[in-house]
Amino acid sequence: MTAEWMPIFLREMLLFRRRLLRLGYLFSAMVVPIIYLIAFGWGLGNRIQIGGLDYLSYLLPGLVAMSSMTNSYTWVASNINLNRVYFKTFQVLVQAPIHSSSIMVGEVLAAMAKGLFASALIIVVGLLTSAHFSLTSFLAVTLLLNCFLFACLGVITGMRAKSHEDTATYSNFFIMPMGFFSGTFFPVDRLPVIIKEIIYLLPLTHANISIRKEVLDLEGFISLLILVGYSAAFFLYGSALIKKYNE
Amino acid sequence: MSGGFPGKQFMIQAEGLTKSYGPIRAVDRVSFKIPPGQVFGLLGPNGAGKTTTIKMLTTLSIPNSGRCSISGFDVVKNPLAIKMRIGVVPQENNLDRELTAYENLLIYAWLHRVEDSKKKIEAMLHAVDLWERKDSVVANFSGGMQRRLLLARALLPRPLVLFLDEPSIGLDPQIRRQMGNMIRKTKIEGRTIILTTHYIEEAEALCDRVGILSRGRLISLDSPQNLKALVGEYIVEFITPEGKLIQQICKNAEEAHGLAKQRENGVTIRRTNLEDVFIKLTGERIE
Repeated sequence: MTAEWMPIFLREMLLFRRRLLRLGYLFSAMVVPIIYLIAFGWGLGNRIQIGGLDYLSYLLPGLVAMSSMTNSYTWVASNINLNRVYFKTFQVLVQAPIHSSSIMVGEVLAAMAKGLFASALIIVVGLLTSAHFSLTSFLAVTLLLNCFLFACLGVITGMRAKSHEDTATYSNFFIMPMGFFSGTFFPVDRLPVIIKEIIYLLPLTHANISIRKEVLDLEGFISLLILVGYSAAFFLYGSALIKKYNE
Repeated sequence: MSGGFPGKQFMIQAEGLTKSYGPIRAVDRVSFKIPPGQVFGLLGPNGAGKTTTIKMLTTLSIPNSGRCSISGFDVVKNPLAIKMRIGVVPQENNLDRELTAYENLLIYAWLHRVEDSKKKIEAMLHAVDLWERKDSVVANFSGGMQRRLLLARALLPRPLVLFLDEPSIGLDPQIRRQMGNMIRKTKIEGRTIILTTHYIEEAEALCDRVGILSRGRLISLDSPQNLKALVGEYIVEFITPEGKLIQQICKNAEEAHGLAKQRENGVTIRRTNLEDVFIKLTGERIE
C-alpha cells in the first residue's frame, strides 16, 4: 500500500508534466531570475565586487534562493486557491479518506519539486557562467529547506486567500519585497539598523546567509535553525488549516 | 461495514442539523432518518439548503448545531470513517480538467485505496460508456460526459452511500434519462442514495422518499405518492375571463370532473405532482 500523500504528489506531477510541455510555463519559471542575471550580474555587476568576489559569484546563490522561494511558493499558493475556490478539485482531496497532514505532505513535496526544478535551471546557468559558483552541501541543504519552507507558506496562502487576486496581493506585498531586500542582490549589512532588524526576521534572509556558506560557522548554524523553525511552524499551521477546512 | 452506536438500522441519521452563514440560516434544525438501500430525495428551490445539507453529511461543512451519522459513525467526530463509506457527485464539476478520464479515476482510486484499481476503472469506464474516450482530456468532454465520469468516479470505491447533488442539472433529456438509469442500477446494487434536485420528474421517478426543503427547513417528508395524496390527486386548471390561471386541487377524479363540468371550456385536468405539493405547502414555486 502506498503512502497516503503519494496520490496527491503524483496528481500534481501529472499536471506539472502536462504544463511543462507548454513553453509559457517553463518560460515563466525562468524569466525573472534570468532577467536579474543579465541585468545585475552581467550588466551592472561587471563594475562591482562584494567580499573580494565578482558580483556574479555573489548574485548566483541568491538567485538560486530567490528562484526556489518563488517557484515553490507561487505554484502551490495559486493552485490550492484556484482548486479550492474556483475548480473545487481541492474538495476531492478533503473528502478522501486520508489525513490532513498527508494532503499537506503531498502538496508540499510537489511544490518542492517545482521549486527544485526551477532552481536547477539557475544552477546550470551558474555552473556554466561563473568560475566561483559551485554546488556545496550548504547550497543543497539550504535549497531543500527553502523549498520546503516556502511550499508550506504557499499552502497557507492558498488556504487563507479568499480569491485568486488575494494570492497575487500576498505575493506583491510579501514575497517580491523579500526577494529584493533579504540579501539576494546586496548584503543586508548595508541597510539601516532598524530595517536590518526587520530583514533578519524574514526567512529568505537566512536562506541567503546559509546558501553562501562554505564552512559551518555560528551564523550559518543559526540561520539553518531559523529556517527549520519557520518550516516546522508553517507545516503545522498549513496542516491545521487543511484539517479545519469548513465550507 | 457498520458503526458502533445506537440506531444503526438507519444508514443515515440527521438530528437538528443547523448551519448558518453570518445572519443567514442556510439549514435550520433539519432531521431525518434513511434506512439502507433507500433513495432519498431532497427537493426544493435554489437556496433552500439542499447543497449545504449534503456538505454537512459529506464532511465538507461542520454544522453549527445538531448531529448526523452515517452507518453509525458521527460525521464530525469520525470524518475518516465517513469518507471511507461515501461517494459524492457534486453539483459543480470538480474533475481535473487537464487530466484524462483514466487519470482522473486512477488518482481517485489511489486516494481511496481501491484494490485492483485498473480492472475496476476499466469496468466503470465501460459502464458509463467512456472507455473509448479514456485517454481524452476531460476539458474536451461534453457536460453529459463529465457528469457520467463524475458518477463513475464516485462509484469506484463501491461506497455504501452515494450523494448526488443535482446530478442532472444542465443535461439534455436523453442524458438525464441515462443518468436516471444509472442511479436506478446503483440502487439495485443495494446502495443508499441521497439526491438533491429541483427537477420534479426526477424526484418522482427515482426517490423512495422525498424531503421538501424550504428556506433551510424540512417542511415535509414522505413517499412521493403520500405527499401527493396529502394535497389531493388531481388538479383542475382553467383561465378566468380576466386571464388569470386558477389551479384547484381535488381529492379524486370524480371531484375533478365535477369541477371541470362547471366550466364551459378551456379546462385541464391533470394529476398532482411534487411541485403542486411544494406550492401548497409553501406558497412558492420550485425554480
